[in-house]
Amino acid sequence: MFSEDTVLLLYEMSDVLIAGLSNGSVYALMALGMTLVYGVTKAFNFAYGDFFNMGGYFAWMLIIGLGLQFGGYVTIFIVVLPMLFGVGYAMEKFLISPLRKRADWENRIMMLTLGLALFLTNLYMVVFGVKLKSLPAILDGILEVGEFVFSYQDIMIFCLSLGGILLFGWTLNNTRTGMAVRAVAQNPAGAKIVGINIGRIFAATFAISTVMVGFGGILLSQKLFINPSSGGAIMVKAWVVTAFGGMGSIRGGLVAAFIIGIMEAFVGWIFGMSYGIIALFILLLGTLIIRPQGLMGKGE
Amino acid sequence: MLKLSNVTKRFGSLVAVNDLSLEVEKGQIYGIAGPNGAGKSTIYNLITGFYSYEGKIEFEGKPINGLRPYQIVKRGISRTFQIPQTFPSLSVEDSIDIGNRFGNTAAYSRKRVDEVIDFVNLNRERKHKTGTLDLLGKKKLMIGAALATRPKMLMLDEPMAGSNAHEIKALMELIRRINQELGITIIIIEHFMKVLTELTETLLIIETGTEICCGHPAEVTNDPAVIECYLGREDDQG
Repeated sequence: MFSEDTVLLLYEMSDVLIAGLSNGSVYALMALGMTLVYGVTKAFNFAYGDFFNMGGYFAWMLIIGLGLQFGGYVTIFIVVLPMLFGVGYAMEKFLISPLRKRADWENRIMMLTLGLALFLTNLYMVVFGVKLKSLPAILDGILEVGEFVFSYQDIMIFCLSLGGILLFGWTLNNTRTGMAVRAVAQNPAGAKIVGINIGRIFAATFAISTVMVGFGGILLSQKLFINPSSGGAIMVKAWVVTAFGGMGSIRGGLVAAFIIGIMEAFVGWIFGMSYGIIALFILLLGTLIIRPQGLMGKGE
Repeated sequence: MLKLSNVTKRFGSLVAVNDLSLEVEKGQIYGIAGPNGAGKSTIYNLITGFYSYEGKIEFEGKPINGLRPYQIVKRGISRTFQIPQTFPSLSVEDSIDIGNRFGNTAAYSRKRVDEVIDFVNLNRERKHKTGTLDLLGKKKLMIGAALATRPKMLMLDEPMAGSNAHEIKALMELIRRINQELGITIIIIEHFMKVLTELTETLLIIETGTEICCGHPAEVTNDPAVIECYLGREDDQG
């Protein structure tokens, strides 16, 4: 039906599209985590990207370092995700929360998280060395549907990220904690006087966002290499997605993440991978000039 | 029921509340008035755990010093702010359910939401986003969310501010019903003297954080010190 060249092109295009969708879904997960923290606590976490690495390194330690085979990634998720939750909760409770009581707390928290990012980068360097690391594919092989071909790895990453996003949305809309998170994000003083412990909600928010970005780290470390300083690039990417979608807009962040994921994959396929990041910044620059509030953000 | 003993609050060199003592009896409506900047809202912020202070505050015979706002709510003290503090994108029933879920959680029941919505008469607006309510609706909602926490004492901060005569009448009626039908003790800060004299049994007048006069509203409003505080001394008049 199609010429050999067309079939080859369709093969490649479908592969690039699913790669873009899988990357986009992870970016969406990360951008949601970032929007959540900023929306609820009004604090900007500069160490956010380093928790992406933490997820990747924790998983690497179990799979490669300890040779954990039993249950594969299921075990990784059961062990690593609660660990990340604990790390995020403790970080807010013991490092960030004490600063919140002081004047000029926004800048103090910004400086603290910048310092934490440097600390974590160097800690990873000491513990894991500077060599690039990656995780084995969660599922090998390809799925052929007619003329199209999709890798199981990308499909799994896409499905797991989407599952994470849906779980996040469900938690936010249907649980007691989710209700408290929404209340604190909209009106902290109002939340206090109806009995919400906002300190606990701040800590829970940091913990959930750490799980989201760390989960993204576990998923993307199968496709990308991680090194001690790669958190910075991830942080920039999550920030670009958030700014492109509109600061504080969950829907905007989701749409932006998929646009960026697909755009990055196609630009990389056509011009080479290094052009992907250039396209990202051109897109951000264009957005800031034409629509500074982002795709779905509210203007002043 | 509520007892403040020698409470002082300083902001740097400014003394916002100065060695204040007061006692609110169970079941009464207690009024607090005074000029702008007298320290009325600061007293609320001290009682509800928003600020630390010197002195002692007891509720139902137990000290509540050092408790955080959410812990104070769980003890049975609820409050409102002068400017309604609502959750703009949540519906009226969800906003009230938050008070229901996070207040006195030991007595949680979903039925409470319907009861409160009925009580504050927000049935027609129950599915509306709170950001779309008018001022009276927002005030009733804030009172409703406070009631949903199952308070023993409700502290209202200038509930009549910005309201017209019809709204004031509706809010006064609501406050009376909360006190009489639900048996909830009420403290009310208000600028409208007519509201205070009609509603309260005890009225405290403060200026610069210090008590000027306290007693039955009829006596208090005729007290020379109170008249001087509100109108100025005769020799000040031009």
